[in-house]
Amino acid sequence: MPIEHASSFDHEFTLEELLTGVNSKKLIQALSSTLNSTVRILNIKNECLFSTELQTYDEAKPVNKTPIIGDLEPIGFLEAQSSIELLQSTAQIVQLILYSNSRYLMASDIHLKTQKDDYEELQRRHTALELSETKYKNLSKSLDLRVKQQVKTIEIAQTKLYESEKLASVGRLAAGVAHEINNPIGFIRSNLSSAKSYVESLSKLDEAFKAGASITYLQQVWKEESLEFMQEDLSDILTESIDGVDRIASIVKDLKSFSRINDADEENADINEIIRQTYNVTEPQFREQLDVTLDLGTLPHIFCHPAELGQAFLNILLNAIDATHDKGKVRIKTFVQEAQICIEIRDTGCGISETNLPNIFDPFFTTKDVGQGIGLGLTVCLNIINAHKGNLTVISKPEKGTLITILLPISHQKD
Amino acid sequence: MASYDEDNNRLTIKLVYYGPAMSGKTTNLMRLHDILTTDLKGEIMMMETTNDRTLFFDLLPLGFMTSSGLLVKFKVYTVPGQVVHDSTRKAVLSRADGVIFVADSQQSQSINNGQSFENLEANAGRVGIDFDKLPLVIQYNKRDLPNILSEDEVLERWQQAPWPVTFSNALNGSGVIETLQALLKQVYDELDIEFKFSEQHDLTQTAFIKQLIGDAIIH
Repeated sequence: MPIEHASSFDHEFTLEELLTGVNSKKLIQALSSTLNSTVRILNIKNECLFSTELQTYDEAKPVNKTPIIGDLEPIGFLEAQSSIELLQSTAQIVQLILYSNSRYLMASDIHLKTQKDDYEELQRRHTALELSETKYKNLSKSLDLRVKQQVKTIEIAQTKLYESEKLASVGRLAAGVAHEINNPIGFIRSNLSSAKSYVESLSKLDEAFKAGASITYLQQVWKEESLEFMQEDLSDILTESIDGVDRIASIVKDLKSFSRINDADEENADINEIIRQTYNVTEPQFREQLDVTLDLGTLPHIFCHPAELGQAFLNILLNAIDATHDKGKVRIKTFVQEAQICIEIRDTGCGISETNLPNIFDPFFTTKDVGQGIGLGLTVCLNIINAHKGNLTVISKPEKGTLITILLPISHQKD
Repeated sequence: MASYDEDNNRLTIKLVYYGPAMSGKTTNLMRLHDILTTDLKGEIMMMETTNDRTLFFDLLPLGFMTSSGLLVKFKVYTVPGQVVHDSTRKAVLSRADGVIFVADSQQSQSINNGQSFENLEANAGRVGIDFDKLPLVIQYNKRDLPNILSEDEVLERWQQAPWPVTFSNALNGSGVIETLQALLKQVYDELDIEFKFSEQHDLTQTAFIKQLIGDAIIH
């Protein structure tokens, strides 16, 4: 490694190097006057580095030469026409100058060397940092993208769940409604069977009649076939069947409003009517267990989404049913208060604990068993009421019951 | 890596005193300057800050001429012990032919000794020195102080290590020459492979050491 060797701080300094920065003219002048002679400074190869301007020696006197010692060994020579003792002591002064200079040179060399090393080290670290910065930048970019994708996926999933929650509460009605429709269908079917047998009895009488039977025989058939009773009963079963069909028609009519859950149309509607419909479709579910009373005041029509509001009332009523057992009471009251429609739904159910109360509107918060609800019921309600610029408050006392108050502005009304 | 200068028939060997701050590296060098009577002995060059802490390095040049005319020159350096001067320490350690690790014997200095030794090993790697082949002596200095590790404790700690361990009180000079001598043995063996001292220069290990240490040699 000769190149590194030459440039490192601890290399062997030549006389030339050690004289750099020394004012050679002044040095030679000083040496010349000290030695009272022409003076030459030679390097180790005996080449003259500096000398008195007039390089003339007095031919009569001998020229003496003494080595100039570096750290240990000669690195050059001092030459003059003076006594060897004076020359040697003068060389020592030169050595002191060189020593001092070598101190400076070594210090500056090692300083430069360490500076350079430190700088290179810094650059290395800088490059490494830049690399890792780029890496993290890219990572953060792709992370951002991935987060956005995930958020989108979650949003889609939430929307689906939200929609399915709407349908779930309606779905819950299906069982009750099916039962409700099945009942009249049952007795209408039975009535129609009876009616069919009555037709057979009538055809017997018809045969006797066409055969020109005697009045006595005709009277006998009339009695045998109990046509007197049939006359009364047919009237009864037809009336009953018409009632049954009317009941089915009424259920279907109420259900229709819920089949329009996703209908975006707004219309002028009667809140009381929506509550009644909700009551009617849910009635089969609480008939045995609950005493639900409707206390509906006179309300102006308001411009709203009837289907949406029906959904909201349904969710609240279903919650009340779930919260209330053993002859509990639910009371739905509507009235107008300060230019707002006020709907109070009060139940005597299990109530909501203080710790749960702040969370009831949070999506996916539920206290129901797995499979009984996904925790979107009240979230959906709140969204619907907010969309109507209304207000929904919940007051609850554990084991006493819950009061839900919905305020809807009448100013929302349109012609 | 000792360097041979063909023009001047000169071999320059670099020895370095390494170790934690204030463990006595410069004091070792000053005692060498006082005690040694080597043929060629230069002035000790010290570069210290105002409070006597070594800034760049200290340097003591020593040398002798073999009968074959080879000038064997030793440049004995100390590194600055303070942690902040690591770049300088690395530069001074660069191309060292042998290292004396000066540890502080005080019990409170064990951690500093350990860290400095790890630093030596790391820096040796950085400047391209094969640490396994580097001639090295561990010197436990300041034996005159109270609350120091006993010799047994020290020897037990370094039992598994291949390097000789010496004890010294550099202030009064005891152990300073022994340490250098222990290093020179290894340096001679290592350099003899390349420079063939015994074959080409009629220079045995004993002569090599005696030439440098002179009358102070310990038998």
